[in-house]
Amino acid sequence: MLSLDAIHTYYGLSHILQGVSLQLGAGEVLGLFGRNGVGKSTLIKTIAGWVVPTQGSMTFNGVSIAGLTPDRICRQGIGLVPEDRRIFPGLSVEENLRLGLMQAPHRSRAAAQHALDQTFSRFPRLAERRHQMGTTLSGGEQQMLAIARVLVGTPRLLLIDEPTEGLAPMIVDEIFQLIASLRAEGVSILLVEQNVMRAMPVCDRIVALERGTVVFEGQAQSASDRERLVAAIAV
Amino acid sequence: MHGGACMNELLESLQFIYGPQIANGLAIGMAVVLMALGLTIIFGLLDVINMSHGEFYALGAYLAVTLAGQGVNFWFCLVLVPLLMAAIGYFTERTLIQRVFHSKDRHILTLLLTFGLAIITEDLFKLGYGPNPYKPESPIPGASELFGIMLPNYRVFLIVAGSCIIVAVWMLVYRTRLGAMVRAAAWDKHMAASLGVPVERVYAGTFAFGVALAGLSGVLLAPIYSVFPTMGKDFILMAFTVVIVGGMGSIKGAVIAGLLLTQVQSISSLFISPVWSEPLVFGIMVLFLIVRPQGLAGRLGHG
Amino acid sequence: MGDSVRLAVAASERAERISRAVLAALFVLFALTFAAVALVRGDTFFFRLATEALILGGVAMAVDVLLGYAGLLTLGHALFFGLGAYVSALVLKETPSFWLAMGATLCVATLVGLLAGVVFIRARGVYFALITFGLAQVVFKAVYNTRELGGSDGIIGVPQIDIPLGLLTVSASSPGSFFLLTLIFVMLLYCFLAWWMRTPLGRLLVAVRVNESRVPFLGFAPWRVKLAAFVMAAIVAALCGALYPMLRGLVSPELLTFQTSGNAVIMVILGGVGTLIGPLYGAALLTGLKSVIGTWTEHHLMIIGALFMLSVIFLPKGFAGAVLPRLRRYFAGEASNASLTKKDAGH
Repeated sequence: MLSLDAIHTYYGLSHILQGVSLQLGAGEVLGLFGRNGVGKSTLIKTIAGWVVPTQGSMTFNGVSIAGLTPDRICRQGIGLVPEDRRIFPGLSVEENLRLGLMQAPHRSRAAAQHALDQTFSRFPRLAERRHQMGTTLSGGEQQMLAIARVLVGTPRLLLIDEPTEGLAPMIVDEIFQLIASLRAEGVSILLVEQNVMRAMPVCDRIVALERGTVVFEGQAQSASDRERLVAAIAV
Repeated sequence: MHGGACMNELLESLQFIYGPQIANGLAIGMAVVLMALGLTIIFGLLDVINMSHGEFYALGAYLAVTLAGQGVNFWFCLVLVPLLMAAIGYFTERTLIQRVFHSKDRHILTLLLTFGLAIITEDLFKLGYGPNPYKPESPIPGASELFGIMLPNYRVFLIVAGSCIIVAVWMLVYRTRLGAMVRAAAWDKHMAASLGVPVERVYAGTFAFGVALAGLSGVLLAPIYSVFPTMGKDFILMAFTVVIVGGMGSIKGAVIAGLLLTQVQSISSLFISPVWSEPLVFGIMVLFLIVRPQGLAGRLGHG
Repeated sequence: MGDSVRLAVAASERAERISRAVLAALFVLFALTFAAVALVRGDTFFFRLATEALILGGVAMAVDVLLGYAGLLTLGHALFFGLGAYVSALVLKETPSFWLAMGATLCVATLVGLLAGVVFIRARGVYFALITFGLAQVVFKAVYNTRELGGSDGIIGVPQIDIPLGLLTVSASSPGSFFLLTLIFVMLLYCFLAWWMRTPLGRLLVAVRVNESRVPFLGFAPWRVKLAAFVMAAIVAALCGALYPMLRGLVSPELLTFQTSGNAVIMVILGGVGTLIGPLYGAALLTGLKSVIGTWTEHHLMIIGALFMLSVIFLPKGFAGAVLPRLRRYFAGEASNASLTKKDAGH
């Protein structure tokens, strides 16, 4: 489904991604792990089109997406739940969600409304607060909104960057439950998470990133692979 | 009895001196607000100071004069000119602003670029229409009495039409999905793009919208003021002052500041020579810059 | 290794300095050639025009201090130029003394620069541009409507003066000698500003532009540095303005219009922002273009506007910005060659 081949990305002069190759199959949840500053977020931003790779190829369902603008990439069916949630402060909860409908602009009005209704029934707390400004929500609710905002566009692949950062343990549980249920529904997910132990159970495959390259790939179900991943990122 | 005379005097001065002055200020204020709205929306989304905004205002007036010369009626101009201006604005953003938009000094470069455009446009007016002013006929001649105040009909129309347009702009920005896109992109263009907002087109469209508003206020003011090549330059300082006092990129601020400052200008000219009312308004701007540099209200998309 | 880095930095700074000095010397040479030709042909009109170009070039240099070094775009520097011109004209009408006029201008410009600076330095980025634009516009209107300052006519009949310079005396009525005097004056200003930019204060100015939030960590208040630059730019522009009534025998509110401020910015951009010498080239170029195009059409602004826009898009560093790196490479190469041969000789 998503295939990266030898991707190189620069921020100014610093060479962040140094030849990353990745495959992600349909319906698969891929956990991407690594210490701070090894390029996890840059990888997400590169796939989303915020950063343009200088080298390498990137295809999604056979379509090359390297060098496309973020709006084109998202219309291919790649949804982004960014680090720090990035909720628009000047927009109400409902407006934030309705903006997410732009991901699939060619849907009929009824289909769009249906997607919106479904999202509201999935996130009843957002439905209660639909006229509140997005940034007046609590941290956990904002994270839910960031995910819901992408789900209304029914993406085929979700990029989720550090969804539990700075949240209370109870909310963290909720987030992982949500990811698990999305997985059960067959949504493909690329998940970046600091909390390796909590994230493993919702993943199919796991990847370790170190200094801008993939240093380990394995199965989340295999105990030995898990141990090797932990060893790889604890260097 | 004495108190009654005092009361009468007050009423009379309200009716014959302040009333007309306030109403005239309100009419001009509407056009100032429209122009300032264009400036402030462009700044709020694109971070661009459009130095040629005054010339776009003049272009709107000149287009109206030209179309009227071809026998096009004023009401049709009122629709046609903003559409033409929007096309010109869209083209300007795509071909000029985008060229320097992604460089590091884009504030200064876009300002300089639009400044260059202003120089050229002003000279084009001189070339095409000569230096002499045109005075279009008022489309609604005559005057009527409102609340005991005699007012030219056209100014009454200006106040009503201006209020409607301001409300429409507000609805468009705050009540439609198009407006939500603009507000979202003004806060975080990357995130907006990742939700499918075609940011580049929204930028060009917003610029076009701002330019169309400038053109519209040109059409509306043409029958009151004359149309001449440097008319934009004379008007732009007021618009900038309104935008700064209201808060750069703030719609609410531009409306409030625009109406207040034109009242200050209008009423103060009863007491001081009109040539000194502009320094007075500018003094308010400096004061604001010292006391409240962020202006009256917050920026587009920022809460 | 630290030593070699320091040496390399010193070498590149030297190359930079030499290149700028070469550009400045070339400008003087160019001006002197012009003067020689004009003198032989006995031309007064072009002498006066060139003197005016030098004066306006000085104003552009002041704009460059703010734009190129402090990163502040001023759209109202005509204010200080006009201030100098009016003060000088008023003084000269009372007492026709060159030094008194210059001294008075210096004092008034420092005072007004300080007052305006304290308020305006608070404005950042585009706010600064707009507020300078606004103030200049308002002062223009105020002067235009003040009968005591001659209103729309300005001050006419400023006497032509003799300028005592120690041993010799220069007459402002002689176009050739006044051109030379202006050239020397403007080049002195250039040398002073170039030196000033190399002092710790000048270097701090660049630091403020690059990263204002870090400068406090060096133990300096950024606003003081910016204020110093603002006052300096005010003084330089006003002193150049003070020469204007000596040249033309009159001052008018026209000097205070946005046209003057805008032209100064155009000169800086065409000539090369952040180079100080560039604006002088820009002034020569703009004045030359205006008089050449002006012989064909009165709509020269269109062409100048287009040229300016093209320069902003394709050559944002201007003429000097394009030439300087070449010169620098040339001199850096020469310097490293020289140091190599020295080393060889040492062995």
